[in-house]
Amino acid sequence: MGKERAHEHTRHWTTALAGVLTLVLLAATLEIVLDGAVGHSPLIPKSPDIASWLVGVGERLGYRVFLIALLSYSGAFVGILLLARRISTRWAIALTVALQLIVFVGPVLISTDVFSYIAYARMGVVHAVNPYLHGPTSIAADPVYRYVGKDWVKVATAYGPLYTLLSYPLAPLGVVGALWGMKLEALAASAGTLALTWRCARVRGLDPKFALIVVGVNPLWVIYGLGGAHNDLIMTLFLMGAVALTFASEQRNAVAGGVSGEAVGLVTQEAGSGGLRGEIERAFQTGSRRETYAGAAVVGATLIKATGIVLLPFMLLSRRRLAPLIGAAVAAVIGALIAYVVFGVHGVDIVSALNRDAAFVGTDSFPTEIAHLLGKPGVFPIDHDLLKAGLVLIVLHLMWRTWRGYDWVAASAWTLLAIAVTSTWLLAWYTLWSLPLAAISRDRRVLYATLAVQALFVLHQTAPLLAPVS
Amino acid sequence: MSESPTAAKREAWGRLPEWARPLEHERRGLGSLRLAETTILILLVIFLAVATVNDVVQQTHVNHRLKADLLTWRTVTGHDYVNLATEQDVKTYSTRDTVCGNVSPGAPGERAQVCLMLAGAVVSGVRSVSGGYYLAPYKADLRANRYKCFGLAAETNLCGLSSLPVGSPPSPSLPLGRP
Repeated sequence: MGKERAHEHTRHWTTALAGVLTLVLLAATLEIVLDGAVGHSPLIPKSPDIASWLVGVGERLGYRVFLIALLSYSGAFVGILLLARRISTRWAIALTVALQLIVFVGPVLISTDVFSYIAYARMGVVHAVNPYLHGPTSIAADPVYRYVGKDWVKVATAYGPLYTLLSYPLAPLGVVGALWGMKLEALAASAGTLALTWRCARVRGLDPKFALIVVGVNPLWVIYGLGGAHNDLIMTLFLMGAVALTFASEQRNAVAGGVSGEAVGLVTQEAGSGGLRGEIERAFQTGSRRETYAGAAVVGATLIKATGIVLLPFMLLSRRRLAPLIGAAVAAVIGALIAYVVFGVHGVDIVSALNRDAAFVGTDSFPTEIAHLLGKPGVFPIDHDLLKAGLVLIVLHLMWRTWRGYDWVAASAWTLLAIAVTSTWLLAWYTLWSLPLAAISRDRRVLYATLAVQALFVLHQTAPLLAPVS
Repeated sequence: MSESPTAAKREAWGRLPEWARPLEHERRGLGSLRLAETTILILLVIFLAVATVNDVVQQTHVNHRLKADLLTWRTVTGHDYVNLATEQDVKTYSTRDTVCGNVSPGAPGERAQVCLMLAGAVVSGVRSVSGGYYLAPYKADLRANRYKCFGLAAETNLCGLSSLPVGSPPSPSLPLGRP
């Protein structure tokens, strides 16, 4: 009786606390979106009028309010993660959906990247200019040009040809139409990634609710990733698609291998009708086909953003099957052919774009912070080489571990995280690459490491809060 | 009885020495490797945390200094303008900053600008003026566009224009030292 009462008491305060944390998350997001809608803020890029219907409630978004909202959000996020197992599934889904929708209807947050995406699309479709050869400055008279970040006006696109082609249908819609199209693409990619994260977590016997919250309520996912309509979310969708297809194939093959388990049980039930041998053969065929698609999906992610390729070696080392390699090879050949036909040789040359971007140096990167700690003004060319060497060592260690049975999803997440940490040009959305994979990884250390890196990124933004300049 | 795929795979890699053969699942007994990895990870996270905190503290000091720069410019020129351009010394990484602003109301850079070179510690919210110069409207802060240098700017020959551009407003030398 006493135990029951204590249990009831705990349930009550858990619900109350989850309610408060939910309110903080919603209020912080609303504050950023409503204040951001006013515009004239260093945190809100110059943009065509898409959120004026929200004006009237908020005030101009300053660093102070933004950082307080971001820190409150981050604190509430940690709280809701700790309570994840105690809140209902419906609550978790409703919270995730609400946060994504609030950000979707608001202005573009923090970054001008989405206007670069639109500029590249309009260069190709409206002006017949190859975005792999020229920067947006070649269409200076176009209405989107004034919104492109000034650091990027002379820079040709570094994004994959598949992403550029996906953005082409939006170009004729005008700047406002294309902007909504980009926001919708980002929302759909986010929703798709979350659905696949849920599914993969369940297949692996992990708590899908926790996985959903850790990705879908994550401050950097919601405010920076979705808020800026970044194409990184489309890359993660493809990556998670590849993982989900591989898991589905594993399930099928487990039937034939006689491996027990809940997921396998489901498949066995499905296979129960009809001749067993025929069903197993069919399962193998389906499994192989899924693995072929999985390999193709990784190449799809790479053709969105080159970083997506990271998954492939770990998938191949772990699966040691021909199907994903064939899928990847076929997709790569088709993708390269289309890219060559549409964009010429520069559309295929992802490596040179990667090399160019790798030379950038930003103030938020960890190498820059370490350089400052060591009394240096910034990173030097030799540092780039040292960082690359360190990254290669990490990848080799992870490949060896994967060959010897380590979780390939975790190895992929570690590599994506290592790329973000060793990059001299770190942006908030780079820390999202590893997040969905880390959420479904068997090695929980990679999830904690990803969250720690994100926390340090948020911490690094707080200087204007401690000493505002005006 | 057909061979299971796992067994077939095992056979395919059978020629490799045991330590090089692929495994379906990690072997037990890897505790020491995991411990070493975890230790390295924890040390790395602590190192990154120290670097981050150090950077935030440094940035806070810079912001504190820049705030004093803006107040000094406003005090010395007597103009309470918001849009001022601040430039830090990225060549020798000293704490000497240059703040430029219009000499009369207008959009940033639309009027002639007065630039002050500020150095030293922040005392009572302001810094010392070590020198300065003027810039013609719409001109970049380059030696060729600077005129009427005074203080350190004159000593280090930062001005490229020997005479005032046509139509320039009065360009008096401003007082050096702490305002």
